Amino acid sequence: MPHALPGIRLTLAVLAVVATTAGCGRSGDETTARMVSERFFAAVESGDGERACAQLSPDTRAELEKQEQRPCRDAVSEVELAGGSVVRAQVYVLNAMVELSSGEAAFLDHGQQGWRLSAIGCTPVAGKPADRPYDCELQS
Amino acid sequence: MRALRNHGLALFFAVIFLASLIGQAFTGQDDFNHLQIAHHQDPVSLGRYLTSSDFWVDVLENWQSEYLQFTLFILTTVWLVQQGSPESKELDKAGTESDQEQKLGDHTTEDSPKWARVGGLRTRIYSNSLVIVMAAIWIASWLGQSVTGRITYNAQQLDHHEAAVSWASYLTTSDFWNRTLQNWQSEFLAVGSMAVLAIYLRQRGSPESKPVGAPHAATGVEG
Repeated sequence: MPHALPGIRLTLAVLAVVATTAGCGRSGDETTARMVSERFFAAVESGDGERACAQLSPDTRAELEKQEQRPCRDAVSEVELAGGSVVRAQVYVLNAMVELSSGEAAFLDHGQQGWRLSAIGCTPVAGKPADRPYDCELQS
Repeated sequence: MRALRNHGLALFFAVIFLASLIGQAFTGQDDFNHLQIAHHQDPVSLGRYLTSSDFWVDVLENWQSEYLQFTLFILTTVWLVQQGSPESKELDKAGTESDQEQKLGDHTTEDSPKWARVGGLRTRIYSNSLVIVMAAIWIASWLGQSVTGRITYNAQQLDHHEAAVSWASYLTTSDFWNRTLQNWQSEFLAVGSMAVLAIYLRQRGSPESKPVGAPHAATGVEG
């Protein structure tokens, strides 16, 4: 039985490393996702369209410009958003979600420019939020 | 040279295990990045992929089913028999057998492992050590699968603008059970196939087979 202990210890060590490094609990990513979101909503509130658009992913910016038929910096203030402060941020691998004090949510993904918003003005539809996509004012 | 020869089986499987794990790392990264690009997201480096839940859930869902297979096989072959199979004990030997047959108590020798000779709790533990360790690795890797699987699942949820789920909720999802059961079915099929096919088929020289000339009805004999 003592001969089996190194094998058991190695297995437990591998599992401990997996649990702590496998894409969950990276607090730096959560902080960044919060900051990007807060920067966006602060920029929208202050009318700084350029800064707000810089927080959106390229695909989300392109979608907004396609919908509104004008530059993002001019169109972003027209998106209907309840806004609010970030009360919770969750990160899983390269995707994130922030929940706002207004009850709305926003989604982010991690690309070449880092964390950027991929969907804003999102509210849960009827039923369990895990079973149906949120209904978003703007998404890529 | 003798060491290589005497430990050839373990060494061979260690080498092909490492080779296939390395191969899985590369093909898994390529597959992951293929999906990333399809979702208009950026590809990741090999290092990033190897520390991701996507890689580890694919590894652990396979490990847990292998160790469950061994746990069940070791346990069930104590009490269940299969006529004609070399994987089975003889038909009248079902159960934990006598101390004499198991070389315990007064029947230990100088060469017997220490924990077999000492008696008491340590001998009881050692008498079940194979199942204990196999089951422990199975449970630990299944737990690891559930943790990494939830992370991967939640990444997909957020990518689809759906809410993330707790670990307890993840255990009730079809994603967790689909990963689990698709592995279990193949393991159980493999063991069952081996137990039955070896009744009628032979492989000369392998201890997994009966001797080529042994009758089909012969049970618990090795080639």
